[in-house]
Amino acid sequence: MATPPGLYAIRIRGRLGATALSAFPSMVSELKGGETVLTGLLEDRSALFGVVAQIEALGLELLELRQIRPRSTSRQSGDDRPSQGV
Amino acid sequence: MATTPTEVSVARGLLDREDLLQLLDRAVTKRVTVISAPPGSGKTSLLRAWADRPTHLRCVAFVSVDRDQQNAQRFWCAVLDAIRSPAGSIDPETQPAATAALDDDQVVDRVLSGLAEQVQPAVLVIDDLHELRSADALAQLAHVLASLPSSARVVLSSRRDPPIRLHQLRLADEVTEIRAADLRFTERETRELLVESAITLSDAGAAALHQRTEGWAAGLRLAVISLSGHPDPERFVAEFSGGDRAVGEYLLAEMLEHQPSEVQRMLLRTSLVDRMNGELADLLAGRSGSEQMLLELEEANAFVVSLDPQRTWFRYHQLLADFLRLELRRTLADEVSDLHRRAARWFADHGDVVEAVRHTLAAGDWPDAARLVAEHSFRWVLDGQSGTIDAVLQAFPEGASADHPDLALAHAASELNHGRLEEAAAQLALAESHVPSAPPARRRRLTVAIASLRLALARRSGQFSEVIEQVNLLEASIADESSEPLAMGSELRAVALLNLGIVETWSRRFDDAERHLSEGAALAQAIGRPYLEVACRAHQVFPTTLVSLATARARGRQAVALAERYGLGDRPILAPALGAVAFWAIWMGAFDEGESALRRAWEVAEPQIDPAAAVLLHMVTGQLHAARGRHQAALEAFAAGAQAQSLLTGVHALATPVVGWLAATQARLRMPDEARETLIGFPAEPGRMGLSFIYNARAVICMVEGDPAGALDVLRDVPDVTPPTGPAFTLVETHLLAGLAHLHLGDRVAAAAAAEAALVAAEPDRLIFPFAMTQAAELLDALPRHETAHGALLADIVDVLRGESAPSTERERGSQREELSPSELRVLRYLPTNLTRPEIARELFVSINTVNTHIRNIYSKLGARDRSSAVQHARELRLVSTARS
Repeated sequence: MATPPGLYAIRIRGRLGATALSAFPSMVSELKGGETVLTGLLEDRSALFGVVAQIEALGLELLELRQIRPRSTSRQSGDDRPSQGV
Repeated sequence: MATTPTEVSVARGLLDREDLLQLLDRAVTKRVTVISAPPGSGKTSLLRAWADRPTHLRCVAFVSVDRDQQNAQRFWCAVLDAIRSPAGSIDPETQPAATAALDDDQVVDRVLSGLAEQVQPAVLVIDDLHELRSADALAQLAHVLASLPSSARVVLSSRRDPPIRLHQLRLADEVTEIRAADLRFTERETRELLVESAITLSDAGAAALHQRTEGWAAGLRLAVISLSGHPDPERFVAEFSGGDRAVGEYLLAEMLEHQPSEVQRMLLRTSLVDRMNGELADLLAGRSGSEQMLLELEEANAFVVSLDPQRTWFRYHQLLADFLRLELRRTLADEVSDLHRRAARWFADHGDVVEAVRHTLAAGDWPDAARLVAEHSFRWVLDGQSGTIDAVLQAFPEGASADHPDLALAHAASELNHGRLEEAAAQLALAESHVPSAPPARRRRLTVAIASLRLALARRSGQFSEVIEQVNLLEASIADESSEPLAMGSELRAVALLNLGIVETWSRRFDDAERHLSEGAALAQAIGRPYLEVACRAHQVFPTTLVSLATARARGRQAVALAERYGLGDRPILAPALGAVAFWAIWMGAFDEGESALRRAWEVAEPQIDPAAAVLLHMVTGQLHAARGRHQAALEAFAAGAQAQSLLTGVHALATPVVGWLAATQARLRMPDEARETLIGFPAEPGRMGLSFIYNARAVICMVEGDPAGALDVLRDVPDVTPPTGPAFTLVETHLLAGLAHLHLGDRVAAAAAAEAALVAAEPDRLIFPFAMTQAAELLDALPRHETAHGALLADIVDVLRGESAPSTERERGSQREELSPSELRVLRYLPTNLTRPEIARELFVSINTVNTHIRNIYSKLGARDRSSAVQHARELRLVSTARS
């Protein structure tokens, strides 16, 4: 199934160090209080589940996973792809 | 099973979690237990501790699914090994037994009967089920769960809920679930763990540690490692619980940091192999002494586990391995490829080509990986290791064979092993398309490999001329001295001889086959290829101008014994030998011996993959039934033989006897029109001996139609084709039919003469079967005992006829009702239903073995070969209702 690439935000319990963050090279990390938010463009569903599998493998606690939709009032006429939920 | 606590050394310092052990004890009162919790929750430790508890209440078969297991066959081999072998550990150096591809039913049946066979109630523990990536295997596992013997239990342990529908079992209240919350350490257990580990911590400190780790087993274990020998445990806990780093990563990093630098170095560099011994670890770490480090880490309970009782093989807990691999890539990125290459070389040198290919691919060395496959795939074919080829091919991305001829060849071999001839041909064509563009040195090797696979393909579909052509091509390639010598010249030659011999055997060129198979077997023995040797010997089981029937029979037995000596006794390649042992036993009147050899032959045979051997087995089955006067069952078997022959493109050696006997049996069942139809439909075949089978069948039709004179006319036309040496297979029958015709015409003198002639023809090889088949007892009575020169043989034949078959149909049927025992009748009632054997066993509250025994007896007493024919016969005998229940 072809899912168009999407921007995702993944919230993980605890602050991740350099080693754990290296498991998510395609994501940008942000430490917020006692949590880590990974944000990044994921190619397709396989990429998404790959990230989830990494989170599981490292014994991390997944708090939230969501797709960031472009604003509905987007004036980017070139972007004709509708955004999709996960 | 793993009831001996010393088999696998459970890491010391592990808390004996009595509450959880009891929870598991209670759980397995239900048929299926599912343990589903994230990594590091302590699933494996709990299961190991539970399995190692000495108890007489159960025996535990413990299987850990290999990392990323995509191969259903390998998975089930491991399960079967665990059920069969009482040692609770695996030796990582031995590959799982490569058995021929098992179909779904066979796998499920073997696992279920393996579980049912245990004296104590069996518990099958499957750990790391999340690593099983084969949809087939999961579907088969679901089937196993649905059909478990009543005393057996299964425990599934996984990081996430297994993708198996447990709906039915849940409704029946037969599932227990153990989840992360159940596995969490309580605060009391946390304190106990600290005490056991000789760590002194204040109550507040212990509470903080428990709170911060939330009772997560891995977190506590990691904390304990860092706390042991820590100068200030309270400070460690304060820092840890005061911070907000992710628990696992923080503690793993702490643990690694507190190791001496040489241990850190070793851990990082060895993290990319799934399992290692001291030598491999030294090679990767670039220093000596790794084994001692690994032993110490295991003793410190530092997420290192030994895999064998001798503690020479180790692996890391997956959580640690994943962490180390990340750290390795982060800090030593430029070494990773080289480490993979070193690992690949070591595995290749130690014969584990599957791992070698995996690491070569991981190093990014595509062409090298394909070359490794090319170098080995042929040998795997030689050794009958089809499972290994499949496993290696899985490491490559899909579609890779389009780019690489060596991969296409390996795929072709794999398809061939699974009997998918068209797919094999397509892969061979793909490989061939690469030949013109290959460099000259490789071109020749490719050509040779393609020819040898084409040869095997041609043999499978019985194309004689194609086989000869490929053999010539192959021999020319091998003999080509101008270029580099072929390392596998002898092996190729042995394979060519084997395929040639097999195709010659089935096209009744027995003398040529004898020569080629003898040479092939001797060569295979000289170069140490037992599978090839057995394959050759298994086909050297027919008499030739130089080999007597008695010798052929002895050779069949020897081939079976040889296979057993090499541990190849269950391979499909043995089917012709077992079939021939049965064949000759039946010809010589030893019907019971024939029956047991035949049963074994059907057990190992793969009729879909080797139809040539299947023709023999169907025919022998028909003979056995015919000899015992069960014409209906004989008819079905001969018809199945004719059907199997039609799958072959060439004419099978046994096609004429199968068709002849099919027609004769149809005639004996009062179906002369169908019998004539059968003979018409059969193309005239030049083999003159074969033709006599057809004449004999025509004579039987005449007799049934009340025309003994016509029968004699037909028989007079039978050309005298008995070779000067060798058994007179058809001639005995011809004389007997003539004798019976004379008897019906009232000419007792001519009948006696014909009977005597039959004895003369039968004597050299003791061919007793035709007497039983033609129901010649009446004719033999016409022969005055003192007038025969073959009194001893005659006495034996009369014994066989009296002991075995009750020729008349009425007696055949009437006598069987008494023969089925009450318990057999009970089982029989379930045969028309769609219940599986394990389900029948459950219904009757008996073991699956008992059911199997009853069903075997039912088949043999009803003269049936499978469930549907048993039901049909039972309905005819009114043993079961004819209405569908």
